[in-house]
Parts: sequence; C-alpha cells; structure tokens
Amino acid sequence: MREPILQVDNLYYAYDEKKTALNGINLSIYPGERIAIVGSNGAGKSTFFLNINGVLSPEEGEIRLNGTPITRKTLPKLRRHIGIVFQDADNQIVASSVKAEISFGPMNLKLPKSEVISRVEQAMEYMNITEFGDRPPHYLSGGEKKRVAIADIIAMQSEVIIFDEPCAALDPVNAAMLEDVLIRLSEEGKTLLISTHDVDFAYRWAERVLVFCEGEVIADGTPLEIFRNRVILDRANLKRPTMLDVYESLVDAGILPDEGIYPRDADALKQYLQKRNS
Amino acid sequence: MRECVLEGQINGYEQNAGSCQNQKIHRHRHRIGHHHDNGGSSIDFYAVNSGIRHVDPVLKVVFSLLLLLFCLAADQPVISVIAIVTAASITVLAGKLPVDRYLSVLTIPLAFILMGSIAVAIDFSGNPVGDWNLFLHWGYLYVTKESLVHMVSLVLKAFGAVSAMFIMTLSTPSFELFSVLRKMHCPALLVELMHMIYRFIFILTTVQRNMRISAESRLGFCDFRTSCYSFGQIASNLFIVSLKKANAYYDAMEARCYDGEFLFLEEETKVPGELILGAVVYFAALTLIWWMLR
Repeated sequence: MREPILQVDNLYYAYDEKKTALNGINLSIYPGERIAIVGSNGAGKSTFFLNINGVLSPEEGEIRLNGTPITRKTLPKLRRHIGIVFQDADNQIVASSVKAEISFGPMNLKLPKSEVISRVEQAMEYMNITEFGDRPPHYLSGGEKKRVAIADIIAMQSEVIIFDEPCAALDPVNAAMLEDVLIRLSEEGKTLLISTHDVDFAYRWAERVLVFCEGEVIADGTPLEIFRNRVILDRANLKRPTMLDVYESLVDAGILPDEGIYPRDADALKQYLQKRNS
Repeated sequence: MRECVLEGQINGYEQNAGSCQNQKIHRHRHRIGHHHDNGGSSIDFYAVNSGIRHVDPVLKVVFSLLLLLFCLAADQPVISVIAIVTAASITVLAGKLPVDRYLSVLTIPLAFILMGSIAVAIDFSGNPVGDWNLFLHWGYLYVTKESLVHMVSLVLKAFGAVSAMFIMTLSTPSFELFSVLRKMHCPALLVELMHMIYRFIFILTTVQRNMRISAESRLGFCDFRTSCYSFGQIASNLFIVSLKKANAYYDAMEARCYDGEFLFLEEETKVPGELILGAVVYFAALTLIWWMLR
C-alpha cells in the first residue's frame, strides 16, 4: 500500500456564515498521480486548492502532508511542497521582469543565490522562455504569461503542482504546449492536480477524476468510471467526452466489437482501427 | 452602356483592392507628438527595448546624473550644447531609438522650458526702454539683448539637463532603477512599494482600458452627461477591481512562500572597463572645456 503524499480529512471552509464553500472533503492523493478535477463554476475547486496550499485556513478538518498534520508551524512546509499555477497569470506575476518573477519563489525558499540562478535558468529553459528573461511581463502575450506562471512553480520544484484551469483563454497552439508540459512533468514523477472544464482533456489525460459539486466531492474514480456514470454527470452538469460518445456509438452500431477498449483520443482510436484491420 | 458600368465596377473594385493593398504596406510617418501607444507607458516601452538596456544600470544612472550636474554647475551654453548632443547621440545611436520618437519624447519638456523661459526674456516697464519694446496701453513690454542671451542660455541649460536625464530614462526600465535604489540602501519598504506600484500601474491601466472600450462600444461616451456618468462608473469600478486584484495577488504570493520580504533575484552585471574608462575620459574632457571657457 502506497503512502499518500497529501491527505485531507473532513475539510470544511466557509467564506461567510450563510454558505459553506467546502462541505466535508475527504481525499487521499498519492505520489505521481494525474488527477483532473471537474465541476461547474462555484463548485469549490479553487477554494479547495487554496485550502490545501494553506492560503485559506479551513474551519474544520485536517490536512496531512506525508503523514504529518499541518498546523500553523508546519504551514511553510506545505507551501514548499505544493505549488499552484493560478488561473489568471496576471494575478500571479508580481515582479517586473520575467527572470525576477521566476526567482520570487526560490528566493522565498531562502536558497543560496547560485541555486536560485540555476533553478531560474532551468525553469526558463523548461518552458522555453529563455529569450525573454529580461522583458517585463506587461509586454508578453497571454500564452507567454501563462508559460511564465508555470515556470514560477517549476522553479520551486514542488512535488505537487496544482493547475487552476490552465487551458482557459489559451489558443490551440499554447494549449497543446501546455499538455506537453503536463505530460513531461508527470513523467518526471510530479503529482499533478488540474481543474478543468474540458472533459475531453480530462478523459484523455487523467488517470483519476474528482467531481466537485456544491463543495463536495461527489465522485472519485478513473475517467471511464466517472464519465460512463450518467447520474454523476447529470448531477454535476458535465458533458460526456466526445471520444467516449463516438466509441460507444460505433459499438452500438455494431461497427466495432464490444471489447471494452476505450480509446482516449483520436490517435488511439486510429491505431486501434489500424490494428483491427491488419 | 452596360459594358461601361461593368468596367466602372471592375475599375472600382480594382481600385478598392489597390487601396486595400496599399493599406497593408502603408507605413505612415509619425509626426512629432503623435503616438499609437498610450501616453506614459511609451517611455517604458522605449526603455525596455533600448539598445543599451544591458549596460549596468548603475553606470547609466551615474553617467546621467553627472552630466546633469555638469550642465547645471558649468552654466555655459557650450557645455549645455555638448550635453544635448551627447545625450541625443547616446540615445539615438547606441540606444537605437528612432530619431522621430526621440524628438517626440523631448517635445513635452521642451514646451514647458520654452514657455517658462519666454517670461525670463520679456520684462515690463512704464518707459520705452530695452532694445525692442511693444507699447501696450499701460506700459511697455521690452526685451534687451542681455535678457535674450540669458534666455537662450537658460533654455540650453534646462534642455541639456533634461536630455542628460533622458539618457537614463530611455535606457533603463523603472524596475532596474529600483534595484539601483536598493543598492544605494534606499529603505526596502520604499523599493518594494515602487516595485508593486509599477506592476500595478500596468495591470490597472489594462483593466481601465478594457472597461473604457466596453463602455464606448455601448455608447457610454455619446454625450457629455453620459461621459461623466461612465467615467464615474469606471473610476469606482476600478477601485473595487484594484482591491480584488490586490487580494488575489496576496494569495498568489502567499502560495509561493511569501513571508513579508519581497525578494527577487538581482544579478550582478559586470561593467566593462572600457565603458568606465570612456565615461572618465568624457568627463575629463568636459572639465577641460569648462576650465578653458572660464
């Protein structure tokens, strides 16, 4: 049995007295998982992220990182291990040049200067932004800003990286770039949590899907389990992934046999068809 | 007849196509004082893209300040002219700023300098005195040769000083100036505030511009009354947005282990010896000229 890297027990959070934003969340997150978090606007995804990063402190409940409960004293440890890439890069970028911006996290970790420099350079190379290291952020495009925001967190070398709706407001080229980065990070053993409204993306990328609805996790399972469950999808107002619909209609029409091989994207379907024909 | 019309249409079409193409390659000359970008931020843009951006900011600041001091202390038109020429050539030749842009940046201080200096040259008297005078019912406006010379040297001195400062302004973005201030042991609190204000200026102007455009597209500025109303709405909204943004900012900073100290990596750049030598030689020559003129 693997040890969870992050464990959340019975987490409650409220912005005001009338309404709770999180209603008792129980979760265990294991190292190296690729988790997609889906759910409509206001379901509590962002609030949950801010809670597990210690920016917001829960009314009730416990968060455990590698087994140790998080208290006020151990809070910095939590932030060191968990990084968030915020939805709006403009709300995240604090410095006036890209290099300074990426150095903000490592400097706060009180690393020696040489280490900061090498981390900043690595992160810039990773996100392919070395060429505009000296530029101020207000002269960057949206996609470039997003890359800077991701480099911010990569430079901190956190084990768990949270992306709050990373695909929002990105053009197809940048979205593809982002997906590549996500795949690479996951290959390097990072634990990734991504909130998204793009069910197709969640279906092809994630190995585990959490469904948030009115401050609760109403479903937790593999993408197939979640997206084939109509009750859950209706309750959380989710669409079905296109590939799943396409595959099931092909099976229903008798074109493909019901072998239970669910291709996750168009390429996988193509390969499956080629293999069947040959 | 019909053919004629058709021909006309085709011609018209071609003309349109032609003008379309013209538009594509059309590059209009920027008249002095004409910008496409919005006001103040253009100076920031020139500074960021300056050809001498990578020269150590301390050197640039010290050079500009020294030149400014020379200009003021010497109080010699020749030194002022040298300063103006030096500043222009550094900014235009080394900094690669197009001449028309440089001139358009200079028009703003120039206007103030000229308006202020005219008052120095002209005096008022009850009697017809001076080298030139103008009778204005109650008395005479008059100008003497000395006052004219005084005015010209004053204009040159002020313009030289402003030009000297523009070497720095047009090659060093504000955030590099802040790091110079930090090195000069300016209180950390002030430097941090400058950093944040600088960043926020751009965020808030973007927000403001978007709100203004959206108001304009809904006829929010169709007449004076509506304009006043829209302006007020935008202003109050901007205040709320800035508070919200500040909150989001603080969250994002906390998420990255912010604990009260606003820290960035500041790389130490090495100043090439020949640049320092060049600066020293330049000021030595300037001192020599000054000494010879006295």
